[in-house]
Amino acid sequence: MFRGTPDTAKIMALLQIAEPGQSPQPHQRRLAVGIDLGTTNSLVAAVRSGRTAPLPDAQGRVILPSAVRYLADAIEVGHAAVAAAAGDPLNSIISVKRLMGRGLADVKQLGQQLPYRFAAGDSQMPFIETVQGPKSPVEVSADILRTLRERAEATLGGELVGAVITVPAYFDDAQRQATKDAARLAGLNVLRLLNEPTAAAVAYGLDKGAEGVIAIYDLGGGTFDISILRLSRGVFEVMATGGDSALGGDDFDHAIAGWIIEQAGISADLDPGAQRQLLQTACAAKEALTDAERVTVRHGDWSGELSRAQFDALIEPLLARSLKACRRAVRDAGIELDEVEAVVMVGGSTRVPRVRTAVGELFGRTPLTDIDPDEVVAIGAAIQADTLAGNKQGEELLLLDVIPLSLGLETMGGLMEKVIARNTTIPVARGQEFTTYKDGQTAMMIHVLQGERELVSDCRSLARFELRGIPPMVAGAAKIRVTFQVDADGLLGVTARELGSGVEASIQVKPSYGLSDEEIARMLQDSFAHAGDDKHARALREQQVEAERLLEAVQAALAVDGERLLDADERMVIDHEMQVLRERAAGSDTAAIEQQVRRLSQVTDAFAARRMDASVKAALAGRQLNEIEE
Amino acid sequence: MSTCHFALFDLQPAFVIDLEGLAARYRELARETHPDRFADAPAREQRQALERAAQLNDAYQTLKSPSRRALYLLSLGGRVLPLEATVQDPAFLLQQMELREELEELQDSADLAGVAAFKRRLKSAQAGLEQGFAACWDNGAEREQAERLARRMQFLDKLALEVRELEERLDD
Repeated sequence: MFRGTPDTAKIMALLQIAEPGQSPQPHQRRLAVGIDLGTTNSLVAAVRSGRTAPLPDAQGRVILPSAVRYLADAIEVGHAAVAAAAGDPLNSIISVKRLMGRGLADVKQLGQQLPYRFAAGDSQMPFIETVQGPKSPVEVSADILRTLRERAEATLGGELVGAVITVPAYFDDAQRQATKDAARLAGLNVLRLLNEPTAAAVAYGLDKGAEGVIAIYDLGGGTFDISILRLSRGVFEVMATGGDSALGGDDFDHAIAGWIIEQAGISADLDPGAQRQLLQTACAAKEALTDAERVTVRHGDWSGELSRAQFDALIEPLLARSLKACRRAVRDAGIELDEVEAVVMVGGSTRVPRVRTAVGELFGRTPLTDIDPDEVVAIGAAIQADTLAGNKQGEELLLLDVIPLSLGLETMGGLMEKVIARNTTIPVARGQEFTTYKDGQTAMMIHVLQGERELVSDCRSLARFELRGIPPMVAGAAKIRVTFQVDADGLLGVTARELGSGVEASIQVKPSYGLSDEEIARMLQDSFAHAGDDKHARALREQQVEAERLLEAVQAALAVDGERLLDADERMVIDHEMQVLRERAAGSDTAAIEQQVRRLSQVTDAFAARRMDASVKAALAGRQLNEIEE
Repeated sequence: MSTCHFALFDLQPAFVIDLEGLAARYRELARETHPDRFADAPAREQRQALERAAQLNDAYQTLKSPSRRALYLLSLGGRVLPLEATVQDPAFLLQQMELREELEELQDSADLAGVAAFKRRLKSAQAGLEQGFAACWDNGAEREQAERLARRMQFLDKLALEVRELEERLDD
């Protein structure tokens, strides 16, 4: 779904000029791989003699832990780096995917959970201090990708034409760009970035002939994603995406660990080493319960028995959260649960039998689990890579993606006005008309926002720019059309145009670092949790804006005609009601403000009528209004 | 200005359309116009492709939804239906108020089965309006009634949205 950038095109051309021998002879297979660059684990897969499978390393292991350790004169990637993480935490980088495309400020928020020392680079990018000097997340990812490329070239026996690399559906432009940069650094030509859920669907061959709605349930170590896709002859239409970025198999381990602490009667206040050991014990018990009905758990001197039924009960609240996200995504897609025709399971945590049955019960059908849930994404990517490299005839997949969060503008009173709702298919262009708030206003601030909440302060600010040169008019007379355009890569452009004069201003919203999965999930959750609060807040702000608007208008009229058209008593009444409105508008009683707005309108009615008469008379006398005003 | 939404999908302007055919044609056109296909084209063509794709998405969303399709049909005659016009439809408005009250009660009692039943009733009311609109759309003399029904459709759309929000809240 991602366009090859002009850069990729250039690199391809250069490759062909520099190495004419590399151009494929007829019937010679062009080597291409699919790479699942995961938070915890990464894999590389390829199509070989018609079979798609992950490629193993020299020891026969297909999984490469996404961990890199920097030594003074060497780099270790994978299992060795994980093993060293406890002893050399500052130089052993794990979970670097969470830092991709993020700014230093974002990373500092994560800082509690990450032991690294960060330094600012020239860009917004955070650098991790290691014995080899500062390393950017892009470089660390590149080291993982390089290891996978070397493994693939050794196994396949030749240089790669390119790779398809998978990214979470939620990844924004900055994160996708960072992933592409890492691939380039690793000497890989990116044929396409593919969304993980789409890759899983491709692995099951669901793009072949099948028509219908499918759900991809992806429960990884630390995150949960649900995607609802409609597919039809190779076209994937994303209908809705959702998830919970703080939910995964690690939480299952914590649930068992909590049970052990309780059963063994030990203190929950463990040192990091003991904590690590307890979680390993818990994880082993979890894995054993995939096949066994019960398992004996030992921790220190204590030992006890954990049955699968007990384990199921422990994880029930966690499962319930994932199922809730599924129901929400289905609602967002505008369909009913029974319209989902296939459910694909992705992620190691979907091996847990209770996860499978619970998902099966929700959708009323047995989920697809034939392909190893750890490998399914890489396999799908490999199939796509093989097609893109030109080894297979047939139509390319097309992905019609959606925007994960609503986009909008700040309007009066700090309110967010949605212009494009979340889960709208991209590309999309949509316009909305706004007007000026003050008489003679010649400039307007356009504040572009992302999020689901009603108040601007609860949404993410994407950009601000100013439309200048609006011809002076009375408040409300100018017509300003603001157009949002989101392209196929999810990049937003905003244009503002005053329709009368044609003055225009625009901005290309290019976040230096975008929203994280966590932020997106949190913002979505907040919007539901606060739907009620928001309504009240909105009503109050609207009344306050109304009050401000009226006060401003009356004030302006008084300044011009107050002396001439009002006697002292009348003036006093108006001044008094204005004062009352000011006081009420500062409070939070919506009804009281509304009442006072009406009151002030009433007492100024006669004044407004007299002003109108005066200006009509002036016009009849052939004089300009501004002459009277002087 | 831009092409008529119906013409874009090789359809005659009508309220009753083949939705399956519309979806199939949409995917075909999406494949042709998707910016992915213009990755190596000059910037101007890329921009045009983007605009076409955005227009296609907009047209598809408009025709897919019965209420938006009805409004679009009414606007084709050149007269734009004012969205916020006073609705001269007291019986319908009264019924709407009653439905909303009912919905509030369902929220207070957190009655999931009641919400499901409410949804079914709403769906059948929507289907009824669509049939009614289809019947009077073909008859030019019933334009006023068509406009009234189109407005009613919008009301029910909004109500459906509120039901969804209620489901969301009850799910928490």
